[in-house]
Amino acid sequence: MTAACGREADCPSPSCGCSEVFGYVRPPLQDLSQEEAERFRRIYCGLCHTLGQRCGPAARFILNYDFTYLAILLSAGREGEPHRARCIVSPIHGRTYLEADPAMETAADESVILAYWQLRDGVADHDWFHGLKYRSLSAALEPAYRRAAAARPGFDESTRHQLRLLAELEAERCGSVDRAADAFAVLLSGAAREVDEPVRRRVLEQLLYHLGRWVYLVDAADDLKKDAASGNYNPVALRFGLTDGVWTPEARREFTATLDHSIHMMTTAFELWDFGVWTPVLEATLYNGLFQVGRAVLDGTFQAARRGEDRKKSKNVEGTT
Amino acid sequence: MNDPYQVLGVSESATDEEIKRAYRELARKYHPDNYHDNPLADLAQEKMKEINAAYEEITKMRSGGSRSGSAGGYGGYQGGYQQYRQQSGSSVLQQVRIAINSGDISRAESLLANYSDHNAEWNFLRGAVCYRRGWMDEAKRYYQTACQMDPGNMEYRQALAFMENGTRQAYRPGGGQFGTDLCGGNICLPLCCAYSLCNGGYFCCPIW
Repeated sequence: MTAACGREADCPSPSCGCSEVFGYVRPPLQDLSQEEAERFRRIYCGLCHTLGQRCGPAARFILNYDFTYLAILLSAGREGEPHRARCIVSPIHGRTYLEADPAMETAADESVILAYWQLRDGVADHDWFHGLKYRSLSAALEPAYRRAAAARPGFDESTRHQLRLLAELEAERCGSVDRAADAFAVLLSGAAREVDEPVRRRVLEQLLYHLGRWVYLVDAADDLKKDAASGNYNPVALRFGLTDGVWTPEARREFTATLDHSIHMMTTAFELWDFGVWTPVLEATLYNGLFQVGRAVLDGTFQAARRGEDRKKSKNVEGTT
Repeated sequence: MNDPYQVLGVSESATDEEIKRAYRELARKYHPDNYHDNPLADLAQEKMKEINAAYEEITKMRSGGSRSGSAGGYGGYQGGYQQYRQQSGSSVLQQVRIAINSGDISRAESLLANYSDHNAEWNFLRGAVCYRRGWMDEAKRYYQTACQMDPGNMEYRQALAFMENGTRQAYRPGGGQFGTDLCGGNICLPLCCAYSLCNGGYFCCPIW
């Protein structure tokens, strides 16, 4: 979204241009049992395999937690047969993963479409030199995108439409956080378009709408200081008059109230459908994880925690591979 | 009807106290207060009916069919999901209330757009429409205007109070306060994920 916002930004994961808006929805592992955390890992690996099989190996680089949640929400609440396979990350022992099912395929296609258009926005929003990363990544993802868009033309069209709308709002420096967030929220709620069962579709649309709204707002809050320094568009700064990127107690109180209303809309939607085996991970994420991430963003500790985590992961990966 | 024990999520061997506890937890979850103005309130109401019926049936079965009513539970929450029941000052605004109650937000929006007198009630109902759309910040601002124009109106004041602090009382499993600034979690631990996104996720690389 940072790219989509027209806000120049240093991506927290510099090698992945598509992850700018993503990365805020995370499983709070300390609240999950080993069994539930393992289950989450299986679907994470399952989505990785599905992306590779369905859209080609280049599609695997878009994998993230947010898309894993999409696969969980779209799934029928059951865990498919686990398989075991070696992959480049675990070339000797292999890893168990969930086999592709229609929900996972939908999530994979929609993830590719979302990631691709995020990258294209990155190309449009940066000059030639700074746009190189976006151009090369979107070129690599292009064949995968073509396959995904052919399979989900409706979602592709609505994603393009909503991102155009968002770009217009950003160009006019829209001061309404709701209007700006709505464009991204509607985009994400479109992921429930193919759900046939009407009650389930209503539940998912509300959940995804407010997840999109929350992600957009948290991302804008995370970029406050950077945007204050660069002068780039930031709807939260405009709405609350935060010219130096520092929260006033009053603005912070108002902003957390609006975030909490969206989380409340998500939790009330979540309680109206049986998500089966995914209930514990969703419950922990919605009732705990989002609060923790939101608070860390507002306290200014989120990026440092994420960078520390990335360093630790790189170290561990080097040590294990 | 579904198995009443299954509806309450308890086994048939559960004690009366366990059943009451399970019922109370579910009643708190689907309570009208937790679905205040929620676009999915109709689904919560259905859930509540199902839970009340299940609790009543179990209570009846266990007392040999002699007792009726909710037997010391929450007393059967069934009403209260419908908002905006107050009488309007104008027939158009009354139609807006009916449209909002029936979930026809587009109609409510177009009626409001064509109503030129932007009085306190208009602002209140505009806020209600925004809330249903998920435009929480705008909803609050319209409620604020309604309260400024008619400070003595309880309906408007309650709506504004809900926007400011209402989610603090929202349901959270096992109790505990609901809110970003109320959580006591340390972000360092939650983010120490056990597997990696590999700087953007080129490969899934679990490392635990």
